[in-house]
Amino acid sequence: MIENRPWLKLFSHFILIAGVLVVALPVWVALVGSTQSAGSFADRVPLWFGDQGVQNWSHVLFHGAGSTLQIPVWHLLLNSMIMALGITFGKIAISMISAYAIVFFRFPFRSLIFWVIFITLMLPVEVRIVPTYQVIANLNMLNSYSGLILPMIASATATFLFRQCFMSMPGELVEAARIDGAGPIRFFFDILLPMSRTNIAAMFVIMFIYGWNQYLWPLIITTDDTYYTLVMSIKNMLSVPDGDIEWNNVMVTTLLAMIPPVAVVVGMQKLFVKGLVDAEK
Amino acid sequence: MTDLVLKNIGKTYPNGYQAIPSIDLSIEEGEFIVLVGPSGCGKSTLLRMVAGLETITQGDLLIKGNRVNEKEPADRDIAMVFQNYALYPHMTVRANMAYGLKNRGVPKEERDTKVNSVATMLGLEELLDRKPNQLSGGQRQRVAMGRAMVRDPKVFLFDEPLSNLDAKLRVQMRVEIRQLQRKLATTTLYVTHDQVEAMTLADRLVVLNKGKAEQIGTPMELYNKPASTFVAAFIGSPAMNLLDAEMTEAGVKLNESLVLPFSHDYRGKMIWGIRPEHLVASDEQNGDVALQVQAVESLGAETLIHGVLVGSQQTDGSAVPLVVRLSGPHLPDIGSHLWFTAPREDWHLFDANTQQRL
Repeated sequence: MIENRPWLKLFSHFILIAGVLVVALPVWVALVGSTQSAGSFADRVPLWFGDQGVQNWSHVLFHGAGSTLQIPVWHLLLNSMIMALGITFGKIAISMISAYAIVFFRFPFRSLIFWVIFITLMLPVEVRIVPTYQVIANLNMLNSYSGLILPMIASATATFLFRQCFMSMPGELVEAARIDGAGPIRFFFDILLPMSRTNIAAMFVIMFIYGWNQYLWPLIITTDDTYYTLVMSIKNMLSVPDGDIEWNNVMVTTLLAMIPPVAVVVGMQKLFVKGLVDAEK
Repeated sequence: MTDLVLKNIGKTYPNGYQAIPSIDLSIEEGEFIVLVGPSGCGKSTLLRMVAGLETITQGDLLIKGNRVNEKEPADRDIAMVFQNYALYPHMTVRANMAYGLKNRGVPKEERDTKVNSVATMLGLEELLDRKPNQLSGGQRQRVAMGRAMVRDPKVFLFDEPLSNLDAKLRVQMRVEIRQLQRKLATTTLYVTHDQVEAMTLADRLVVLNKGKAEQIGTPMELYNKPASTFVAAFIGSPAMNLLDAEMTEAGVKLNESLVLPFSHDYRGKMIWGIRPEHLVASDEQNGDVALQVQAVESLGAETLIHGVLVGSQQTDGSAVPLVVRLSGPHLPDIGSHLWFTAPREDWHLFDANTQQRL
């Protein structure tokens, strides 16, 4: 069907452009704001670049975000990165292994175990936060990277997705590998892992963003600011007891917090889409 | 020396379903055995039991005299070619073929030599660095065979390997498989539902029906002396004409007015069989049976005439179908009557109750 209706075209373009503007405006404000001096937010939100850009960015990155936060933002970035990557790789490793067990091995109570894992979907961190805190505190893991990462690492969603992916693996392929003498570990590394790499990529994107955006958990278990993460610190910068909020620095930090997830999505977009839609095996 | 022995092999699933009651078969070294039967007859199950992909619930499986019932597929010294080829999609052809050797700890130089020599034999040299998705169906099939050959196993297992290929390629690969098997002289067990494939490839055929071996023998034995009506109907295309009849003093009584003179000790209900190609055109005086033409299939070199036996009715009142195969072109009118003689030596007589050959 070929349609040639110029008005419809114009209208739909208008809608699309309006959508882009709505989404892009806050980012624009943040970008412009990050180049202003501290005082220029007093009466109105600036919509064009100021002259303090380089100074603001280098100050925030290397000296500290100002007000209550005296630690340089590169350190927060590093903390966030360690936490997000730890959660991502941990989740992928654990859920791949558990899905592998559930799909390819026959053991008693297999489906019960699967459902137990599945039910944990109903128990996100927010629900189990008190007992989890207790456990982490008892293990002396408050203010540590392992304390930030471990409670997040088990994932029913990822287990479920890997289970679906493994179940779509052709049975003949598994049998061919058995005849070729590939034991369980060899099969996992030689066949299963390379064949599910697009799914792993998709999982990486989703889980990295999930890990990066963690707010409540780091807020609760870190009291030492060398373990603060970037996302929770932004909130910290806004709660100034007296005096002005340094909006320019807040904007720099916000932009910095946006860069890694955006980079991950843009960089892995192709694999990500392939992993979600591709059934080619 | 017998290479592969199936002794009273049976399979009962945990839910109580008996897929294979009991099969005895001993296969000589270098023999090409084809398991053939309609879908659901247990032929693939049997093959998978030999491969070790299905457990054996009864009997013994011996490969070169060793009982291998409990051995892992990899330890049975067999290689299998799957219907959908089952090539590892992320590995090159070379890696696919070498994977089994690699897992067995064969050093790299030896792997390369073996892969190269098999690739040369199969004409795959050009394709060694491609991935399976860059190959055509026939090429994939060849790689799957190469992967099996490279290990130099005691037994080859083929599970309907040609059913995903187009008709022309299928004939070509069939010939090729036969030649390769002769050359390598490796004992082979081949599963198919295609009786032409079965007849052309096999040294010996095993016709399976509901998990039982109906008959085991060379293709010609099965064609000339089918042991039961099932084998008679399964081997040969178009299928043998099988007509309800009765053995009397006078001979084979097809209906009240049609008795073909014959002497046999058996009395009572029986099934009279004759292959379409064995009926000989005749005239009203000399003919044994009359056929009313219903449809004609002209294939050029031969003509298939579908019709009904004149003057006969089945127990449910419908007409008795009869097929005749004549060589060369013929164009009888629809509805006309044709007469045929049925040479006595081409008859196949079966007991109506047991369906076994008399």
